[in-house]
Amino acid sequence: MGSHVNIEATFDVVVVGAGHAGTEAAVAAARLGARVAIVTSALETIGQMSCNPAIGGVAKGTVVREVDALGGIMGRATDLATLQFRMLNRGKGPAVWAPRAQCDRGLYRRAVRSLLEEHATLATIQGTVARLLIDEGSVVGIETLEGRRFGASCVVLTTGTFLRGRIHIGTETKLAGGRAGEPPAVHLAEQLESLGLQVARFKTGTPPRIDGRSVDYSRLERQESEIEAFDYSWSHFWDSPRRAGETTRHPRQLPCWITFAGDEAKAVVRENIGRSAMYGGAIGSRGPRYCPSVEDKILRFPDAERHQIFLEPEGHDTHELYVNGLSTSLPVDVQLRMLHAVPGLESARMTRAGYAIEYDYYPPTQLDATLQLRALSGLFFAGQINGTTGYEEAAGQGVVAGYNAALRARGETPLILGRSSSYIGVLVDDLVTRGVDEPYRLFTSRSEFRLTVRQDNALRRLAPVALERGAFDEREARVVERRMTEEDRSRDLAERTSIRPEQAAPVLAAAGSAPLAHSMKVVEVAKRQGVSLLDLLRAAEIAELPAAEAAVTAELEIKYGGYFERERAQAEKMQRLDAFPLGGGIPYGEMRSLSMEARQKLLALTPATLAQASRIPGVSPSDLQNLVLEIERRRARASG
Amino acid sequence: MAGDATRPAPTSAVAALGALRGGSDTIAAIATPPGRGALAIVRLSGADAEQVASRVVAGWPTPARVATLAILRDPATGEVLDEAIVTRFEGGRSFTGEPMVELSTHGGVVTSALVLGALLAAGARQAAPGEFTRRAVASGKLTLTQGEAIGDVIDATSRAAQRVALATLDGGLARRVVALRDALLEVEALIAYEIDFPEEDDGPIAPARVSESVARVASMLDALLATAPAGELVREGAVVVLAGPPNAGKSSLFNALLGQARALVTPIPGTTRDAIEAVVDGRSWPLRLVDTAGLRETADSLERLGIEVSERYLERAQVVLACAEHAAGLAATCAWISRLTGAPVIEVATKRDRPEAEPVASGSAALEVSAETGAGLDALLARIEDTLATALGAPSFDAPVVTRARHLVALRAAREELAAFATAWSAAALPAPVMAVHLRSAVGALEELIGVVDTEDVLDRVFRSFCVGK
Repeated sequence: MGSHVNIEATFDVVVVGAGHAGTEAAVAAARLGARVAIVTSALETIGQMSCNPAIGGVAKGTVVREVDALGGIMGRATDLATLQFRMLNRGKGPAVWAPRAQCDRGLYRRAVRSLLEEHATLATIQGTVARLLIDEGSVVGIETLEGRRFGASCVVLTTGTFLRGRIHIGTETKLAGGRAGEPPAVHLAEQLESLGLQVARFKTGTPPRIDGRSVDYSRLERQESEIEAFDYSWSHFWDSPRRAGETTRHPRQLPCWITFAGDEAKAVVRENIGRSAMYGGAIGSRGPRYCPSVEDKILRFPDAERHQIFLEPEGHDTHELYVNGLSTSLPVDVQLRMLHAVPGLESARMTRAGYAIEYDYYPPTQLDATLQLRALSGLFFAGQINGTTGYEEAAGQGVVAGYNAALRARGETPLILGRSSSYIGVLVDDLVTRGVDEPYRLFTSRSEFRLTVRQDNALRRLAPVALERGAFDEREARVVERRMTEEDRSRDLAERTSIRPEQAAPVLAAAGSAPLAHSMKVVEVAKRQGVSLLDLLRAAEIAELPAAEAAVTAELEIKYGGYFERERAQAEKMQRLDAFPLGGGIPYGEMRSLSMEARQKLLALTPATLAQASRIPGVSPSDLQNLVLEIERRRARASG
Repeated sequence: MAGDATRPAPTSAVAALGALRGGSDTIAAIATPPGRGALAIVRLSGADAEQVASRVVAGWPTPARVATLAILRDPATGEVLDEAIVTRFEGGRSFTGEPMVELSTHGGVVTSALVLGALLAAGARQAAPGEFTRRAVASGKLTLTQGEAIGDVIDATSRAAQRVALATLDGGLARRVVALRDALLEVEALIAYEIDFPEEDDGPIAPARVSESVARVASMLDALLATAPAGELVREGAVVVLAGPPNAGKSSLFNALLGQARALVTPIPGTTRDAIEAVVDGRSWPLRLVDTAGLRETADSLERLGIEVSERYLERAQVVLACAEHAAGLAATCAWISRLTGAPVIEVATKRDRPEAEPVASGSAALEVSAETGAGLDALLARIEDTLATALGAPSFDAPVVTRARHLVALRAAREELAAFATAWSAAALPAPVMAVHLRSAVGALEELIGVVDTEDVLDRVFRSFCVGK
């Protein structure tokens, strides 16, 4: 058939889209040795941050480190582009420290592109994908609007908000667009729908941006960067650790500014609520509850006195500021009046208007746990196309899709990260098992393993997986090894080293902890709340101190090991259920001891294991028991 | 099958699923108690119930959910066994959730046994005790607590037990546990908000807000746990021990009380050396009457064994009847009892029908009874009930009561986790997310009782209560 004629080149994996999901998918596949092409409408927008210029945050920061531990690029690019850094939850102890970096958008984009180009087997191609080439129920390639055709064993779609994207500003203005100023993808959307896939719409929004030179900073609270010896990535500088106080890895740091929407701004919104695209009826789709538009905030929480606004720098090359907290779909005149009602922004010039965007997503319960579409083999989905929101969530899915596309092309067993291994594992499992009813974002509360799945131990959790699949070269493997060894050495030093009362005194006093009566092992003293292991080792005059980050991981194990054990026991329980394979071909429809709802859900989702089945809403514990019995009985019959 | 060898053994998963497993083959049993009666009901349940019934019931299938007169035949010989009322229930619309058939046969032991035999010959299996209920739970027709309550209704030894079991069946206990879980999730949501949304408008949660919520849940849990002793009483009966010297007339009194109560439910046979128990229906509580061996100093090792049994009963008595013919005997018995238990003691002067009986001294609290004439028995029963009511309070039947060891274990576990959390929270001794492990464990213990698990619930609460997101 026509599918095979005029093929310009053939790849193992073709990635469509070069945002945070697409770039990670391409890099992951390339790391596994696949021949990869990444196809995007404009090469200049590779790694574009469409919304807030921040990477990380609670749970999300951990995902960045997981992506990094699996060989991804988000952490590296962020380290090179950070212009403002904060460690969130610092007061709540290292167990929930959450790094977040504001980035220079331009630097970030350029870093991503050059990190892609580090891989010789990764081709970047400009083009708008018009359709998939399909042969006998499998994807075999893609064709662009320009008429270029590429063959592929696997295709990863990371279309973000581009599929039939529609931008709303007020009730009057509707623009077709995948992002402000860029056209939507329509042909591909129509083909996907014609394949019989279930499709739905979500909306998300973005705030206006302003010219920093028009802001009255005297009325704003200044928030300095907490730049410190923190790197998202283990990789690029680990073998030449930074000297103390040295921050040259990042560009010069810039402050953020805090103001608020008070009564005046609230009144502007309330008076014009009927002109909002969301409240005026122009948008019917569902948006997220946790990143609400200013309209949502004011209507749903009328008692809140004020809503915080963060003014975030867009980059070193511009005065433009991102007005974080004022996401809106009000018409431009109202946006401007609202801005002017905010302290410090009385005469602000709006550089870009905020908008809401509606786009197609494909309910992710149509995917298996490798993010491959069940209905069409070789086709993988990652990022917002699966109904998620957030750069980090997109990147995490990109890595999973990239690994699995490459592994499929190689004919190897797929990679499925468990819930107890990572937030990425939780994310993928939630998506394919439970589906989404609002744009999905990660929270620590989504994980059963909040204590053992942390940002500081991502490498220990996931690097073995990456190494096993051959994602790292020898040099990288040695660096990983060093990082792990350093962690073990910290623990070892703590157990072997004694500290005298006078040595420990200043460290303990600083933590408000009682002095020692006699010499003790450091490991015992480090159990105390607020007492840092590294400080103790330094006070005990250890010649070669372990690296700070490795010492934190060791310290947490010392302090909270007992609690960690509880989670590990829980993880083991879950793994026992995971060891009960289900897979395809099970006649759930005939299992009359299962509830009708359970039968339908199991048929639709074909969970890979009993553990996954246990998490499907509508499958009760008794359904599970009966399921085990039904399967046992069938097995007994088949073998007897 | 060759492919099976490479699959991980499923046994660990089966083990993980635990004790609730029920079969789905087809089971049959006589549902009515043995003995004479106008009717007996034979039940059949399972995937193949229809097939089994078709081999026994003439004119099968009968209309669903309609009581239909039908001839029952032996599947092997074709012999007519009975003419019965047959009701067919489709799967999903029956008690067990499976396809079910109920056969109302003529009464008596023989007919129903023949019909059951025919069903077994036609492919059914004899049901194990409680298996129908277990299947109803397994199919989701009953919640676990409701399923257990049905077991209690069947086992109920008195009106009181039946009332509490019925209240549980209503889902009363389940509702209380659900409410407790909800309250705990609210606290979890506060902690989740703290961790997941560190930069929000509402700012940090005041520590007192968490402490207050925890204290509220703790008191709810305590209130439920406080019903556990009453729950045990309702299930087991209040232990009323008859104690006294040998030949004080305890056994006669025991039998007379059983006769007087006219509601003998479970005589438990024993030898004269051991204690004899029987449960009678009291006004508020079932009474577990225990006749014990006579108390006296003895060198006889055999007799000593019997006395030790008596003493063990005394240790767990809720009320003791100190029985003796004479004042001296009463005094000695009371002294003996007081070494073993602090339970209230009712002094009973026995054999008051005997002409030689010495009159009770004025001012004595002893009740005069005669097992022979029945004199004083009503007063004694009334005194037992009053004493129990004073000591234990009246049972409250509208509030659910913890009647099962399983419930008690789970509720206690939840309570302990909550206490650990409260201690750590008030001392700020651990980071919040570490402490939250205790909350999750507490929620987990409750969820095991009612069989729901969902972390989404916590987030729902966060989003409902706080304006989050920039």
